[in-house]
Amino acid sequence: MRFFKDTKKYFPYAVYSAKAELKSEVANSYLNWIWWVLEPICTMLVYMLVFGNILPNMKEDYFGAFLFVGLTVWGFFNKNLVNSVKLVVNNKSIISKVYLPKTILILSKIMVNGFKMLINLGIVVILMIYYKVPVTIHVLEVFPLLVLLTVITYALMGILLHLGVFVEDMAYVISILLKLVYFLTGIFYNIDTKVKDDTLRYVLGVGNPIGYVIREMRLVILGGQGIDWTLYFIWLGIGLVCCFAVNRVIYKNENSYIKSI
Amino acid sequence: MAEDIKATPGTEATVTAGEEANKQVPIAISVKDLVISYRMMRKMSVQRSILSFTQKDKAANRFVAVKGVSFDVPQGEIVGLIGKNGSGKSTTLRAIAGILSPDSGSIDLHGNTISLLSIGVGFKPLLTGRENIILSGMLLGFSEKEIAEKTEAIIEFSELGEFIDYPVKTYSSGMYSKLAFSITAILETNIILIDEVLSVGDEKFKKKSYRKMKELINTPDRTVVIVSHSIKTLEELCTTVIWLHDGEIKMVGETKEVLKEYQEFMK
Repeated sequence: MRFFKDTKKYFPYAVYSAKAELKSEVANSYLNWIWWVLEPICTMLVYMLVFGNILPNMKEDYFGAFLFVGLTVWGFFNKNLVNSVKLVVNNKSIISKVYLPKTILILSKIMVNGFKMLINLGIVVILMIYYKVPVTIHVLEVFPLLVLLTVITYALMGILLHLGVFVEDMAYVISILLKLVYFLTGIFYNIDTKVKDDTLRYVLGVGNPIGYVIREMRLVILGGQGIDWTLYFIWLGIGLVCCFAVNRVIYKNENSYIKSI
Repeated sequence: MAEDIKATPGTEATVTAGEEANKQVPIAISVKDLVISYRMMRKMSVQRSILSFTQKDKAANRFVAVKGVSFDVPQGEIVGLIGKNGSGKSTTLRAIAGILSPDSGSIDLHGNTISLLSIGVGFKPLLTGRENIILSGMLLGFSEKEIAEKTEAIIEFSELGEFIDYPVKTYSSGMYSKLAFSITAILETNIILIDEVLSVGDEKFKKKSYRKMKELINTPDRTVVIVSHSIKTLEELCTTVIWLHDGEIKMVGETKEVLKEYQEFMK
C-alpha cells in the first residue's frame, strides 16, 4: 500500500523535521523546553484551584493526577487538530517544489505533539508517586490506548488537512467545535459520576472517542482497572477505516492541493 | 542528438529517440501518454463549501492540463520546454519532478535522481539554514550522511557565513534564494529540471549562479529539462526543444527550427 511505502521512505524526513521543529519552538524562549512541562502543570493548578476549592463538588480522588491525565490527552488531540487545518498551506514552499506525501506532514506533526505528550505522561508518573496511587498491571494498557488515540487523531487530522486547503474559515469552525468537544469530554470532571442522565453519560463516555480514551486512561492509571476491550476494538476499527478512507482522499487530491495553494 | 528525436503528429504526440540513438545513449526520462488533471477548486467559505457539496456536476470543475504527452529524453540531452502560459509546460516539469502525479500514463526516470531547480527547494521558515539544508537534501533523496558531507560546500557557495545558523525567516529574499540555489546546485542529481529562474541573488551571485548553472548543465551525461519563455536562454542552452500547446505537443525538434516556428505562431 502506498501509505506504508511512503511512510518507510520519508520516515527519516518526518523524524528530522519533527526534531527540528521542537528545537525551533524552544530556541528563542527563555525557559526553553520547560514550557512544555510548565504549561500543562500551570493549567492543572488553575483547574485544581477552581474545581478543588471554588466548585469542590467536582473534585475526584487524586484530583491533580486526574486533571493532568485529561489535560495531557486533550493537549495532544487539540494541538494536532488545530495544526492540521493549515498543514498544507504552511508547508506550501516545500510541497510546491518537491514531492512530499501529505500524509508525512500529518505524521511529523503527530511526532512533535506526541513527544510533548510523552513528557507530560512522565509527570503523570511523578503525580502517581506523589498521590501514592496503587499501581496494577493494567497500567500497561496505557500503550494500546495511546495507539487508539493516535489512530483517531490521524484520521481527524487527515479530514481537516483536506478541508483546510479549500475551506477558508475552517480554522474558526474548528476552534469553536473543539471548545464544544472540550466541555463534553470530561477533562475537568468525571463523566461517570457527574453526568446523571444515563443516555447522556453513555453518549459522552462511549460515543465520543476522545472522551472514551480519557476515561479509560484514568481507569487504568488511577483506578487500577482494565480497558473495556470491546469498545476499544470498535473504536480502533472505526479509526483505521477512517484512516484508510482519509489517505485515499488525500492521495487522490494531491494535485489539486498544489494548484489550490 | 536532436536529429534522433522525432515527433509523431496527432493528438497524442510522441517524441522518441531514434533506434540508433537508443542503442548508443541510454534513456534518462521516459514520459508515456501523460495525462494530468486537477479540480479547479478555489478557496471558499464553509457556507459555500456545504452548498457546493450538494452539486452533482463536479466533473465540470476538472481541468486537464496535460493531454497524453509522450517523449523520451536520452541521457545527456538538454531539452527546452516552451509554450504560451497555460500550455502545460510547468505542469509537465512538476510531474517529471514527482510533485504532481499523473491521472494516467507514466514517467520513468530509470533510477536517476532528480531535482527541480526553480527558486530552490522550499524551506521551513522557523528552522535554521543548516537544518533546512538537511531537510531539503532528504527530500531530494540524499541520506543524512551524504548531505553532511556536502553541507560545508553548500554553505560556502551560498556565501551566508554565520547566518546559516539563523532561522530562515530572518533571511532577505536574496539570502533565501542563494541558499536554495546552492542546495540544488551542490547536491548534484543526474537529472536537473529548471523552471524559469536561471540566476538569483545580487549581481555578483547572479553571475556566479549562472556560471554554476551552465557548468551543471554542461556536465557530460547530465540530463536537463528547462522550462522558459526566454528564446535567448533556450537557444543558448538547449539541444532540443519541445513546444507544448494546450497540453499537447505541437512540435519537437532542433532548437532553432522549433523556436522559429514558435515565434511565428506567437506573432
